Amino acid sequence: MIQRELCQRVLRRAASTGADYAELFAEHTVNHTVHMIDAKVDAVNDAVVAGVGIRVFKGLRSVSASTVDTSETGLMRCADAAAAALGEGTAEIDIVLHERSFGDVHPVQIVPSSVPNARKIAILKDAYFAASDYDEAISQVSGTLMDVDHKILIANSEGLYTQDRQIRTRLAITAIAEKNGETQTGTCSPGRRMGLEMFDSVINPQSVGREAARQAMVMASAGYCPAGVMPVAIGNGFGGVIFHEACGHSLEASSVALGMSEFSGKLGEKIANEKVTAIDDGTIPNAWGSINIDDEGTPSQRNVLIENGVLKSYMIDKMGGRRMNMAPTGSARRQSYAYTTTSRMTNTYIANGEDKNEDIIASMEYGLFAKAMGGGSVNPATGEFNFSVQEGYMVRNGKIAEPVRGASLVGKGSEIIQKIDMVGSDMDMGQGMCGSSSGSVPTNVGQPLIRVSSITVGGR
Amino acid sequence: MKYNEFKQLVIAEAQRLGLSDYELYYSESSSTSASVFQHAIKDFDSSVGGGVSFRCLKDGHMGYASTEDLSAEEAARIVRAALDNAAVLETDEQEFLGEGGKSYQPITQKEITLPSAEALTKKALEAQEALYAADPLVIDGSATELVAMQSTLAIANSRGLDLFHENKAVVLFSAAVVSDGKELNDSYEIAFGALEELDLEKTARTAVSDAKNQLGADVAPTGAYPVVFAPKAMTGLLQAFSGVFSAENARKGLSRLKDREGERIAAEVFTLIDDPFYAESPAQMPFDAEGTPSFTKAVIEQGEFKTLLHNLKSAAAMGKQSTGNASKGSYSAPVGVSPFTLRVAPGTMSEEELLQKAGNGVYIDFLGGLHAGADPISGDFSLQSGGFMIENGKKTRAVKSFTVAGNFYELLQGVTAVADNVKFISFGSPTAFASPSVLVEGLSLAGK
Repeated sequence: MIQRELCQRVLRRAASTGADYAELFAEHTVNHTVHMIDAKVDAVNDAVVAGVGIRVFKGLRSVSASTVDTSETGLMRCADAAAAALGEGTAEIDIVLHERSFGDVHPVQIVPSSVPNARKIAILKDAYFAASDYDEAISQVSGTLMDVDHKILIANSEGLYTQDRQIRTRLAITAIAEKNGETQTGTCSPGRRMGLEMFDSVINPQSVGREAARQAMVMASAGYCPAGVMPVAIGNGFGGVIFHEACGHSLEASSVALGMSEFSGKLGEKIANEKVTAIDDGTIPNAWGSINIDDEGTPSQRNVLIENGVLKSYMIDKMGGRRMNMAPTGSARRQSYAYTTTSRMTNTYIANGEDKNEDIIASMEYGLFAKAMGGGSVNPATGEFNFSVQEGYMVRNGKIAEPVRGASLVGKGSEIIQKIDMVGSDMDMGQGMCGSSSGSVPTNVGQPLIRVSSITVGGR
Repeated sequence: MKYNEFKQLVIAEAQRLGLSDYELYYSESSSTSASVFQHAIKDFDSSVGGGVSFRCLKDGHMGYASTEDLSAEEAARIVRAALDNAAVLETDEQEFLGEGGKSYQPITQKEITLPSAEALTKKALEAQEALYAADPLVIDGSATELVAMQSTLAIANSRGLDLFHENKAVVLFSAAVVSDGKELNDSYEIAFGALEELDLEKTARTAVSDAKNQLGADVAPTGAYPVVFAPKAMTGLLQAFSGVFSAENARKGLSRLKDREGERIAAEVFTLIDDPFYAESPAQMPFDAEGTPSFTKAVIEQGEFKTLLHNLKSAAAMGKQSTGNASKGSYSAPVGVSPFTLRVAPGTMSEEELLQKAGNGVYIDFLGGLHAGADPISGDFSLQSGGFMIENGKKTRAVKSFTVAGNFYELLQGVTAVADNVKFISFGSPTAFASPSVLVEGLSLAGK
């Protein structure tokens, strides 16, 4: 993308007013989407995102600038903007770049951009019609097949000059079932850090369509979830969003370093039930949230966040590390060059426990089984979170009973992770796009079936 | 290269390939922002971004491609990619390129001058000090972000459309964190306007008092109550459900409002207006994403459903005129539909009178998880909430960590009164919202 010598000149310019750290992030990304609705392909889009973000630090002050003009003049102007905003000093560091390669543990067999639209459409249709043919009550289906080819280059004043290429593919089907004038939605949207070989090896498009339709059908015949405080069993896979919201965001340096997390200053303390071990691991081969290096060029790693209830690690970017006096953990991420990097999650999950799934359900006299979760959000300062239940069932006398719709769960992160008192052993992950100050980034959430002994269930 | 040069290359390529119907949509934005932590600048950012979306009609199908890389190679690539993408489309809907209008209503917002980096930084620091000065309970973690931005939009097509619009705005974001030693809480307030006109103290006071009022909040009791949605909460609901007014969604079975024009869908006290020229908006727009002149229209008037929101395609398919609501979520997105400023018309009561009418119930001024807990297709919602109990017609103790559940379509029917305290709230482009406090009967709360 940008030659090493030019990067070196740009970084020297950026650091010319006394920065103690300077960094250049360049990207060239091709987003390709194919969309279907009303049983027809109605939109195909290509979008190229390309530009450069420059960042300089001096102590705890960070200045960033970004541009779409990647000519030498444009880059120098961008570097000047950063240098000028930092202050009026003189250069204090010498910058000499050496190229480094960190390797790639996420092999891609079929690069999506090398494949014509027709082949992608065939995959999407396979999934689409599996959903629309599932039942006569399926009144509408929409489907998207998206692939992203995200090439990044990172150079910094520590001498680093490196590149990485992140290829991701995702299929999303939404089915709507209509019964007696009521409409309910089901979704299934698996993705991987893979190319189109994903559909030959790990994802069956028809199963994706059928799963979305099945969920919509179940929910269309469901009554409203009753409101109240009760035990809740949360299913594996995307159920892990509970840890992501209730705890994960509050372990990011972006809130911890500013003292704005309920877990600030609690390393080594028991913050969760001893049954909870939680891990953020960006190194899992071909997983949706995986990265070889983070967006500051730090190699990704497996971070044990909580071990048997004890807080072991935060997720830390370079600036967070400065404030916390701790090393970065390979957690710096940004949606694009236009966003300022901060600490984020990758693949975050609660590890398998020793409880049996049947024992978890059998332990509940009256409660909710949240088989599939929707999204949620959290305020890391107070720990108050919410998330919605996509597919829920009442549990009565230890048995799964009727489906219920419209449930949401609310609580406080630090209290809920103490109440995760049963952990099953069918750990799986689900894919999401996580939004925060550095934009929207792909993340996996995961867990086995767990029980929360009591939580507020919103319903009507 | 500059956009105009790039544009000429794209047009030359389109003509070389024999295209007769094509359009370029160019969006450029530059912004500078300063954010403050404790008493010093934490981050300063200046960015220049922008991109071009090209679309063309080929055998009746509209293909799209976009880029941020304004190079000669990309100029040729996006034309070819848009053609390739058009070739595989299957829809039989008629597609349109806009021809614009004879005239455009002038915007009334005052033009502002963007501040220098120094002035912006100085004001951000002052705004942060205003937060600390507002109350002794304000603690570190409170943050100020001040952003100055300029955005440019240009649409040009083979039908002779050639439109340009520029907008400048300064936005102050004040986030207060308060603690009484036992408990911590936060809230934020947003203000717009020329730098010298921003009322730092008022913005700080609002953020701080909202955060402070929730200290010591208890969990609300479970049950069914009359609920007063404060402006912040009501605009949140409107944001989550504004898609139900889109003709595109209605046609696809994603809204229940298809063919319902003329029907009573809300209580008589409820009027909902889409207003591209809303006086307080920092982003008034004289035309939509297809170049159609924009205008103010009632969506719901005294309970009666007046119109879905249309772009050219949905209007033609449903035998209507475009309502000038074509929009793009970002420059690279295909043309869709959205409102400009969707606002609930004020009633005649004060908020105090509204609370009197509510009698005993709950006042909600915070809703969380709108992207997840609100289903825009069924209208169902179940949302994290915060606010106050209403006892004997007055706001009393603070409550939080409860949920309010209902259905948006039923809620519209269940409005019993609307106050006069309209507040404008923008969550970012393309749509903003404004609403006074609204009283709704009988919603379910889950708390303790």
